[in-house]
Amino acid sequence: MMRKLPKYRSQMRIYVDIMRVIQRENNRAKPTRILYGANLSHDRLLKYLEELKTLGVIEETDGAERLYNLTQKGIEFLNEFIRIEKFAGAFGFVI
Amino acid sequence: MGPRWFVGFDSLMESVAFIIAVAIAYEAFKGYRLTKQRTLLYVHFSFAMLSAGLLIDSLAGFLGILARALKGFVAFTLVGYTIYFLAQVLAYIILVFAYVSQTRTLSTTSVSLSLVPLFGFVVLQTAPVPTIRLLGPLIEYHPVSEIVLLFLVFYITVQTGLNYSASREANAFLVFLGFLLIALSHLAFVLIPFSAMLFVIGHVLQLLGFVSLLSMLLRVTRTK
Repeated sequence: MMRKLPKYRSQMRIYVDIMRVIQRENNRAKPTRILYGANLSHDRLLKYLEELKTLGVIEETDGAERLYNLTQKGIEFLNEFIRIEKFAGAFGFVI
Repeated sequence: MGPRWFVGFDSLMESVAFIIAVAIAYEAFKGYRLTKQRTLLYVHFSFAMLSAGLLIDSLAGFLGILARALKGFVAFTLVGYTIYFLAQVLAYIILVFAYVSQTRTLSTTSVSLSLVPLFGFVVLQTAPVPTIRLLGPLIEYHPVSEIVLLFLVFYITVQTGLNYSASREANAFLVFLGFLLIALSHLAFVLIPFSAMLFVIGHVLQLLGFVSLLSMLLRVTRTK
């Protein structure tokens, strides 16, 4: 009965899901890994990656293949979000 | 209301609970600023309201002691209790609203909740207490007011208990334990007419409830 998940993920939740995938991939994630890990369509993935880059929480690394990593700001944001998620979860609220 | 030796300790315990409530309200507000989740704003307002009530009641308690020492009669404790009671009602209604808006159902708890007024009726029929007295805009302690609070906190305890049974997480357990102890403290306050010692027990349980919430907060803030 509790922890009824909302029907749609909020924008914030999608941002965090993307960032979590990047973190899980040792902070070097390919777009395809993010696409599957965060359960997004290709178009939406590109849109959100651009938004996250604009926010300065992820960056694209230059090289032979396209990789994304969390910036220091991104790591701090994700850690803070996890803390808040635990706090809300302790009361039974889903962020 | 309580034993003479306990005078002042209740205000001291409420001062500690006030600091804990402020810390929880602050953490919830930080969470709201980051996530813009309304439920966190409700938690913030609820604990901010509780902390304001606790502060006023504890200050009123200390001022009451001072007034008694100076041989002047000032109804500080009465003012304190009235404000604290109203603050608690509002705080717990906000939390109840947060749970109702998230779960969108009252079905599983409505049956158990209906037992609380029944219990209140039994207490009022058997307890040696006069009818409720309203002194102008002020409310004097009476089991009815504590039953109202018990009713609200009991609902929150059930919700946090359900959350713990679903998640089995230590933090969820500490929140459940916190509200359970606070609910038990109100139960003790309801039963004060039977024994003055229940005033002491109620305050100790309330403090332990807030300490349990503080333990959760410390565990969460130490998360890396």
